[in-house]
Amino acid sequence: MKKILLFASALLLTISVEAQIKRPQPQPGPMPTVHVKKPQEFTMKNGLKVMVVEDHKLPRVSYMLTIDTPPYVEGDKAGVSSLTSAVVGNGTTKTSKEKFNDEIDFLGANVSFWNTGASASGLSKYSSRLLELMAEGSLNPLFAQDEFDKAKQQAIEGLKADEKSVASVAGRVTDALLYGKDHPNGEFVTEQSLNNVTLGDVKQNYATFFVPENAYLVVVGDVNFKDVKKQVEKLFKGWKKASAPVATYPEAKDVAKTQVDFVDMPNAVQSEIALVNTVNLKLTDKDYFAGLIANQILGGGGEGRLFLNLREAHGWTYGAYSSLGSGKYTSKFKSSASVRNVVTDSAVVEFVKEIQKIRTEPVTQAELDLAKAKYIGNFVMETQKPGTIASFALRTKTQSLPADFYENYIKSIEAVTVEDVQRVANKYFKADNQRIVIVGKGADVAGTLDRLGYPVNYYDPFANSVEKPVFKKAAPAGVTSKTVIENFINAIGGEKKLKEVKSLSVASKGSMQGMELTMTQKQTNKGQSMMSLNGMGMEIMKQVVTPSMGYAVQQGQKQDLTGDDLKEAQESSKLFDELDDLKNADSFELTGIETFNGEEVYVLKKDKSTVYYSVATGFKVAATEVVEAQGQTFEMTSTYGDYKEVKGIKIAHATSLPLGPGMSLELKVSEVKINEGVSDADFK
Amino acid sequence: MRKSLTALASALLISSVAVAQKVEFEEYTLDNGLHVVLHQDKSAPVVVTSVMYHVGAKDENPERTGFAHFFEHLLFEGTENIARGEWFKLVTSNGGHNNANTSDDRTYYYEVFPSNNLELAIWMESDRLLQPVINQIGVDTQNEVVKEEKRLRVDNSPYGNWITEVKKNLFKKHPYRWAPIGSMDHLDAATLEEFRAFNKKFYVPNNAVLVIAGDIEFNQTKELVEKYFGVIKRGADVPKVNIQEDAITQPIIATAEDPNIQIPMYITAYRTPSMKTRDARVLDMISSYLSGGKSSPMYKKIVDEKKMALQLFAFNYAQEDYGMYLIAGLPMGDTTREALQSEIDAEITKLQTELISERDYQKLQNDFENRYVNGNSNLESLAENLASNYLLYGDINLINEEINIYRSITREEIRDVAKKYLNSNSRLLLDYVPAKDESAK
Repeated sequence: MKKILLFASALLLTISVEAQIKRPQPQPGPMPTVHVKKPQEFTMKNGLKVMVVEDHKLPRVSYMLTIDTPPYVEGDKAGVSSLTSAVVGNGTTKTSKEKFNDEIDFLGANVSFWNTGASASGLSKYSSRLLELMAEGSLNPLFAQDEFDKAKQQAIEGLKADEKSVASVAGRVTDALLYGKDHPNGEFVTEQSLNNVTLGDVKQNYATFFVPENAYLVVVGDVNFKDVKKQVEKLFKGWKKASAPVATYPEAKDVAKTQVDFVDMPNAVQSEIALVNTVNLKLTDKDYFAGLIANQILGGGGEGRLFLNLREAHGWTYGAYSSLGSGKYTSKFKSSASVRNVVTDSAVVEFVKEIQKIRTEPVTQAELDLAKAKYIGNFVMETQKPGTIASFALRTKTQSLPADFYENYIKSIEAVTVEDVQRVANKYFKADNQRIVIVGKGADVAGTLDRLGYPVNYYDPFANSVEKPVFKKAAPAGVTSKTVIENFINAIGGEKKLKEVKSLSVASKGSMQGMELTMTQKQTNKGQSMMSLNGMGMEIMKQVVTPSMGYAVQQGQKQDLTGDDLKEAQESSKLFDELDDLKNADSFELTGIETFNGEEVYVLKKDKSTVYYSVATGFKVAATEVVEAQGQTFEMTSTYGDYKEVKGIKIAHATSLPLGPGMSLELKVSEVKINEGVSDADFK
Repeated sequence: MRKSLTALASALLISSVAVAQKVEFEEYTLDNGLHVVLHQDKSAPVVVTSVMYHVGAKDENPERTGFAHFFEHLLFEGTENIARGEWFKLVTSNGGHNNANTSDDRTYYYEVFPSNNLELAIWMESDRLLQPVINQIGVDTQNEVVKEEKRLRVDNSPYGNWITEVKKNLFKKHPYRWAPIGSMDHLDAATLEEFRAFNKKFYVPNNAVLVIAGDIEFNQTKELVEKYFGVIKRGADVPKVNIQEDAITQPIIATAEDPNIQIPMYITAYRTPSMKTRDARVLDMISSYLSGGKSSPMYKKIVDEKKMALQLFAFNYAQEDYGMYLIAGLPMGDTTREALQSEIDAEITKLQTELISERDYQKLQNDFENRYVNGNSNLESLAENLASNYLLYGDINLINEEINIYRSITREEIRDVAKKYLNSNSRLLLDYVPAKDESAK
């Protein structure tokens, strides 16, 4: 009997090993605390505060010098601080730029400088040399005229490149309106203000603000406090005691009642929407952690309500997020997204709805738990990164945090309740005092904004108030799609002349990210077309279309055009397509007169394309195509200008070619050949 | 000037003697053969839990290539306790992230969590080893995913196949002759039983190392490891590949076509010894010297000055049984293979006959030391280094001692190793060229 039992239990045992083993999912342990290494500190007579965290796990060291400069207004010299950043670090009064950089390279180290600080990191065996290099670059910068000129030129080019960028105009206007142009956060750099800055101003900026009174040097790594102290005292002894002036500027004020602020950018293919209000939320405020979580739930990421609503449920945008600023100075709460033109007003409605909802209804416990888990997870991963010890130590000083702020961070997050979230949402997400800044294409968008029920104000791209522009007006009587097309044909030479053209070859030049590009376009009246873009001695892009086939080659990948793609390409490959359009002029809809780049234009629409013809000259100014890719809709706009006569026909000599959303290639025509230089071999 | 530089260099040399890094760890083996490595670092409340299995593409049946990589996908399908599709949700909703990857030599899985989820991570990884669900739905799903991955990374990607072509030509017997992505026909032909058999053969505790690194307590962690991994039964001993290639005595000349490219890639490839050997380390230094960065001699001369190539790179592809030393260039304009080759060969010959300068040597040392130190600076890479040092290199202490190998490599050795392996009679010259245009015919 006993034997049988034994046998049975042995059998059971084998069964339980072979069969599935049910093991419940473990519950998380108590939330961990972050053990932030406490720095050893000393303060020099000139005011420089030094914090050293010895960390001997790896033989490396990092130095970070930060000057905690109170914000100031740069005024008509806006850009002086960024130019100062660009100039410091390019050599010192003792060492040439080449020699200085060569040594850093040799050491395998990273060293950089900016207008209010410097950093250096590398192997700890070079710790003293690294500190010497950083001190030398910080305290004896070389202000060379050529480096200054170069930096200024680059800054101006940068501004120009951004001129038509809807996103950067949106950023500029949003801050200028929210804070005011006379506020450090609201002012912006212009070509004019950059041109006002001289090398002398840069030197002055450095002399005024690169001072030790509110400077912190944080040293982390495999070093010894005593050695560091000795060396820092020696190297930074000559840094003369001074403090940066505390600037005064008007305080930013929220609007009394929520309003829409609209900026017209006729080239916009998406509207940039930002709902903003100012925030004064210190890291030491009792609302701080609840604020982080409330923002996380509203729009902190892919699980945020804004994302789930505007992207997942409606598919209007690639992403919608919110952010809540904090710190010892005024910052902002912002909810934003880039959405398709036609859904601009609907998107605003959903933004407002979500902000109202988190203010009036308690969030669910599940949402709160997920937001905390994500937030804590992210925070914890952050603490693991090199550099975090230094930034914690620094922020503890500059934001006057209690010594155990980061130790208690997770606990503080955990303590946030559903009620806290609602309370802080009411306090900081100021639904009734927001500016809803929209930058977009007025002709498509502006008409819908009045429906939102808020006052609507209009601004130019530099945040200057303007009268409500006329975005669209009716074409005068007698003007039809047919007369517009006829007008264009006559303006460039007339139907007879155009029909004599058998082939057209246009070569143009442009540049992109410093790369010289050449483009060749060839077309015949037999429906053949070829376009090839070359740079750096190689072909970047090519497209060939004939009445029987078509293909495109991009970055080495060849793709045959088929079906509708081929048909579309063939249709747009006609030489002077207006000649054809004229026959079917009725298929175009003349929607009225709009403004394109400051010029009045007739707008002709057909399916997914829109063509703009100048009211004054009759020339074609631009054409756009609506393109769908990866679930997103884009408008690709080509522009045409500088029409010049070649063999009796006027050809646009300045064109721009769309390369993708927000990207275009500006081209200048270098050679035009009519009825020569083109053969069937070009279209193989 | 010269004098001051020499003085500087010697000052630097002196200061370099004292410092060394010390990554501490504990290691032990469970009764079922699972090797466990624990590293404690309480500086952040994070824990990395990883398992490296000693199975890679080289362990595959030549008729069933792609299995090892396929398993990397399959083993996220779920376990007896984790429902299908739940794995990733479980990770993110607990504040973590995870991933996996496969090479010719091994397959690696890991999770990173806030340290209060250590038990969750151990539970997940142990369940994956103990009782993964391998069924037809999972196989069919991942079959599609893997095909998509191949289309994306290999078939549609310019130059996506060049390493595969090099391996095919450099290895005739050894399973390094195929790539981890494997053959889609093989995967289509495989039965569910074959997948289960592969799992039973290789996914056993005695063929793996578990690394737990971060904010842990040793005793508690050991208890959890025993509780969750201890119940798993030891598997049969896992046979290791032992195939020797014949020496290459004649240059191998080959051509491969890629329909996605327009500019050819000219490849010079040498078969080199196992990454466990000292010579492989010297070859690491050689590649870094020749073409690491824009100030390296090969790059400077061929790309910058002579403008013969758009791009040029060299690297030592270190692996368990053999390595490959690869130099590849994209010619500029109408530069021929011969012209490019003669420039490359000139640099190699120079390396084989002259010593590199003292300053270049010291710069190289600095470069390797930086790389080494930063390579262990985050917990994720540290955990992976511990795992591969144990499992592949067979010496876990390399985590602290590897740098000493590089430090001890002399300028003379660099010259001699270049002479020994970078031999023009024992190499592959592969022209990786644009596919001939079918429509042009």
